Amino acid sequence: MNDTKRWIPVREGLWSDPSADGGEAQLIGSHCLTCGELFFPRQDSGLCSYCQSKDLEDIRLSSKGKIYSYTVVMQRPPVYYKAEVPYAIGFVELPEGIRVETLFTGCDLEKLHVGMDVEMVIEKLHEDDEGNEIVAYKFRPVTS
Amino acid sequence: MKNGRAVVVAGVGLTRFDSYDGQKGRPKKEYYDLGSEAILKALDEAGMTWKEIQAAFCGSVYCGTASGHQTISNIGMTGIPIVNVENACSSGSSAFRLAYQMVAAEIYDVVLAAGFESMPRGFIRSTAWPEWQRFMGFNVQPAAYAMAAVRYMEETGATVEDFARVSVKNRRHGALNPNARFQKPVTLDEVFSSRMIAQPLRLLHACPLADGGAAVILCSKDKLKSKSKMVTVAASVLTSGTYGHVYGGGSVKIKTPDTITISAEQAWEMSGYGPEDMDVVQAYDTMAPGELWDLEKMGLCKKGEAPRLLREGFFDLGGKLPVNTDGGLLSRGHPLGATSLAQIIEIYRQIRGEAGPRQVPGAKIGLAHAMGAGPNSAVVILKR
Ligand SMILES: [Zn+2]
Repeated sequence: MNDTKRWIPVREGLWSDPSADGGEAQLIGSHCLTCGELFFPRQDSGLCSYCQSKDLEDIRLSSKGKIYSYTVVMQRPPVYYKAEVPYAIGFVELPEGIRVETLFTGCDLEKLHVGMDVEMVIEKLHEDDEGNEIVAYKFRPVTS
Repeated sequence: MKNGRAVVVAGVGLTRFDSYDGQKGRPKKEYYDLGSEAILKALDEAGMTWKEIQAAFCGSVYCGTASGHQTISNIGMTGIPIVNVENACSSGSSAFRLAYQMVAAEIYDVVLAAGFESMPRGFIRSTAWPEWQRFMGFNVQPAAYAMAAVRYMEETGATVEDFARVSVKNRRHGALNPNARFQKPVTLDEVFSSRMIAQPLRLLHACPLADGGAAVILCSKDKLKSKSKMVTVAASVLTSGTYGHVYGGGSVKIKTPDTITISAEQAWEMSGYGPEDMDVVQAYDTMAPGELWDLEKMGLCKKGEAPRLLREGFFDLGGKLPVNTDGGLLSRGHPLGATSLAQIIEIYRQIRGEAGPRQVPGAKIGLAHAMGAGPNSAVVILKR
């Protein structure tokens, strides 16, 4: 393991950091205490975009859900995405009733299906020009 | 929304949608060449001179600052207000709506709506996704359609073959349209052997890019040069981003009615018509499956019913409700700023009985629907 290499989240605040917060890494959303709406990612504006209340709290979202929809992308998108192609993306429905868009990992792309049980992992997305690992949340099939 | 005074179509103009890149013997034309060509055709059809136009709204997406001014300066600057409209793929119909409102509100009597585009090549780069989502590879328009298509299959039992049938139908219609980019029909086998883009969607499920220009002149009845076959705007609505349907913006729990459904309901209310009154429809087929749920969400058929009706020929020329009679985006090609005006122009041609070999006999009322990133949903109903 190269100690100088750093892990950098693709975006700050998408998931909890176990080294700082303890426990498992979990996606962080916002919960509106006025109307009950949920958001992922967290509403950085501090405003509920459904009822415009400012009474929001951070919540940790379930790490397990079911595939709501998916696709396998066969050609490279412009500029930003640097990992392998083809790749699978889709929406995972969490028990809280929110559908999170995600990359899929650790699976045979041909075996993805609607309703499949999946769980969240933090994994490398790509390396940046300085050799840092850019990491992101992804979902993979539940094996047990 | 108030309806205001009656607004009628004075004339329309359309260039062929094609690649005007100057390569391989193709002519080199810029967006302003195509836009001004369409405007001059519309003036000619209206029997009007340029100096009669009192205001102009110009739709485009990739043409840069003041593209309407560039286009109109080709014809002649007259001091009229020119407003550039960028509303993604519904830019043209958004410009149309502004022109319509100006005449309806009696602010002006004769107003131009134009749309044009010289398309960038390859994937359409969209800034509709935040940067982190672009790093995660979410910024692929066909993938968004593919995920919606997978859901649609799950909920309705539709098959990939149904999606291919949309391509086959629209390319068959497009073969009758001299302004379409693709005028050659395709077979189911050709669709299935085309390159996979985002499973389950293939290249021939997707509309081609194109460059092009389109223009519509709207006016009050008293300004019409000829009242024969007069076409009235029965509705022009725009619904932008109903709550919970904003793609690229993250996820929420509360669901509200779909943007397309809301805009169609507004159009029925504004026009006093219902789905059963439509003789011809231009639906939004940037990707083939979109046409199916578009028709369902507008209430032109029941949910899950569109694939069966398609198989039975209901949406064919000669069917009960012909859809995308000019070949749709799948044949015509997709110059973003011009697309939704071309849809409106096809309805105009159809209800005037001027659609030649693709004429729907006796068509009197028609609807054009365009979607745009944002999202936007724009519906226009024209009647004879
Ligand atoms: Zn709220």
